[in-house]
Amino acid sequence: MALLEVKNLDVRFAVRGGDLTALRGISFTLDKGERLGLVGESGAGKSVAAFSILNLIAKPGYIAGGQILFEGRDLAAMSERELRKIRGNRIAMIFQDPMMTLNPVLTIGTQMVEAILAHRKISKKEARAIALDRLQKVQIPSPEKRLDQYPHELSGGMRQRVIIAIALLLDPEIIIADEPTTALDVTIQAEIMDLLLNLCEQENVALMLITHDLGVVSQVTQRMLVMYSGRIIEQGPTREIINDAQHPYTQGLINALPQMGEPGARLFQIPGSMPSLKNVPTGCPFHPRCSFATDHCKRAMPEYVRSGNVDVACYEVANLIEQEKRMQEAES
Amino acid sequence: MTSPLVSIRDLEKRFDLSGNLLEQITFEGGRFRRKQEAVHAINGVNLEVHKGEALCVVGESGCGKSTVARTVMGLLSPSAGEIHYDGQRIDNLEGKAALPYRRKMQMIFQNPYASLNPRMTIQQTLEEPIRFHHPGWAATEVRDKIHEVMHSVGIDPDWGSRFGHEFSGGQRQRIAIARALAVDPEFIVADEPISALDVSIQAQVLNLLMDAQESRGLTYLFITHDLAVVEHFGTRVAVMYLGRVCELADTKTLFATPRHPYTQALLSAIPKLEDDRPNHIRLQGEVPTPVNLPSGCVFHGRCPYANDRCRQEIPQLIATDGGGQVACHAVEEGRL
Repeated sequence: MALLEVKNLDVRFAVRGGDLTALRGISFTLDKGERLGLVGESGAGKSVAAFSILNLIAKPGYIAGGQILFEGRDLAAMSERELRKIRGNRIAMIFQDPMMTLNPVLTIGTQMVEAILAHRKISKKEARAIALDRLQKVQIPSPEKRLDQYPHELSGGMRQRVIIAIALLLDPEIIIADEPTTALDVTIQAEIMDLLLNLCEQENVALMLITHDLGVVSQVTQRMLVMYSGRIIEQGPTREIINDAQHPYTQGLINALPQMGEPGARLFQIPGSMPSLKNVPTGCPFHPRCSFATDHCKRAMPEYVRSGNVDVACYEVANLIEQEKRMQEAES
Repeated sequence: MTSPLVSIRDLEKRFDLSGNLLEQITFEGGRFRRKQEAVHAINGVNLEVHKGEALCVVGESGCGKSTVARTVMGLLSPSAGEIHYDGQRIDNLEGKAALPYRRKMQMIFQNPYASLNPRMTIQQTLEEPIRFHHPGWAATEVRDKIHEVMHSVGIDPDWGSRFGHEFSGGQRQRIAIARALAVDPEFIVADEPISALDVSIQAQVLNLLMDAQESRGLTYLFITHDLAVVEHFGTRVAVMYLGRVCELADTKTLFATPRHPYTQALLSAIPKLEDDRPNHIRLQGEVPTPVNLPSGCVFHGRCPYANDRCRQEIPQLIATDGGGQVACHAVEEGRL
């Protein structure tokens, strides 16, 4: 059984003039110790997906349907009280901006001890020892000193290390990291990603990494989901998708990267931009930007088809697979 | 070689932190002292931008790359050094004398959400610079020009009556580019023009900038932290660290054979699609504060090759075999 299984998750935002559907029929699994990447552009719903797992979506957002099974228990149906026992304890989160996550008027030590005491009945002294241990794990220079410092005394990279240390405090099963390095410089980003990857491997923690950077996904994760307009359009092993993407959107996203083009030549570009939730196109939401779109694509959302180990929601891919099958049958 | 279009000579920029005289006075060890502190954003930068090229300036936050852009544009005045445009010194020009250069040099900013006036329609936004620089133009001429630039950046000219907030981020950046192009500039300073945009939109805007360069013969000073973009877009690259240029070379040379240890670390930190694990060069520590600059080479505290000379003597840019320039004692001495 998978550690986390999300089944047909629908998330909506109740706004004036009707509900906006932010997530539609999201299904995926996460195994123990597995690293999963969630990729998409802004507005694709990747952060909503991550937040809804711990039911952290703020009103007017709500989970309209589906299940989020963590060790067999449905988080979506759980009471707030029960959910608090899991949040930060069994499933931890790392957010994008470390300055927004840390309380500016409390020392690092106070914040770490507070998080431990919220879940464990131990003495402050013991909690402080755990905090110190985690700070050592994230390789912060002179960790004892950091416990008594305030967030503003640390640099951006160091703050994100503290955040990772806090996420590790209670030995979680899953860490959900929402764009953990977007606010940081490249050299610091490389170090933080390296650290996160090593810690997850050492402690056998599952990682759900939300990012827009395909390079990072490729370096860190084993499986990935590509999201577009609230739907998962492609999911499977990271290497397989990066090397041979099936969905026209994923292909476009990869080919649009400057490192894929000849230096100085025009880059491949996907025309248009992601639709807003207020007017999601009918059928496949990508069809207005897709060069393979047919009338069929405008009518109904495609079902998932399997190509290799990858699940893809695209009629064009389904047709190609059909054709290949027929060719093989004709040959034999 | 032809003379450069823009040349930056021994540029320095400090931002004073200490306030007025009263705020500078502190009481220490039984006596009053005057204490002055400044952020040393740029410390002696020499750069030349040649006609028709795209010179990219890269570096991490706080290295002074944006300050270079702003000082070249005259948005900040240099603490020392000179800026020359087409042979004429421009950093000391004021008022009317500076006006022709204002038209020839335009800037594109990072965040199109902040750089467009929310209370102006697109028509007004694009009209303002044209009317300012060409007061004699008839209304029809102005309108034709606006149509032309909107068309060239791929924004429907019928959308002129809309406001900035009605557009997506990518469209807003196109409008900001249209505003820069509206006065037919020769030289464009682009300060992180695609950093705030999504991947698929970044490609659109980069293509647009390259098309404009080709069709209008533009020269770019392109500021960015994204090295993948530089490799694609730049003719030459200047790598900055703590207010100094540490390496300057052709894009191809720099990416194929980076010489400076900082450039090497920076290049190794780009996450690549073919990587299965992060494989970057590990640097010690973090970027020091630009308030108290390290002595000698600014990079020595994090450099694996640093020796005593690096801690004391500031390295100057020296020519390398590949035609580039690098400021590093280790390279000069053949240790690297």
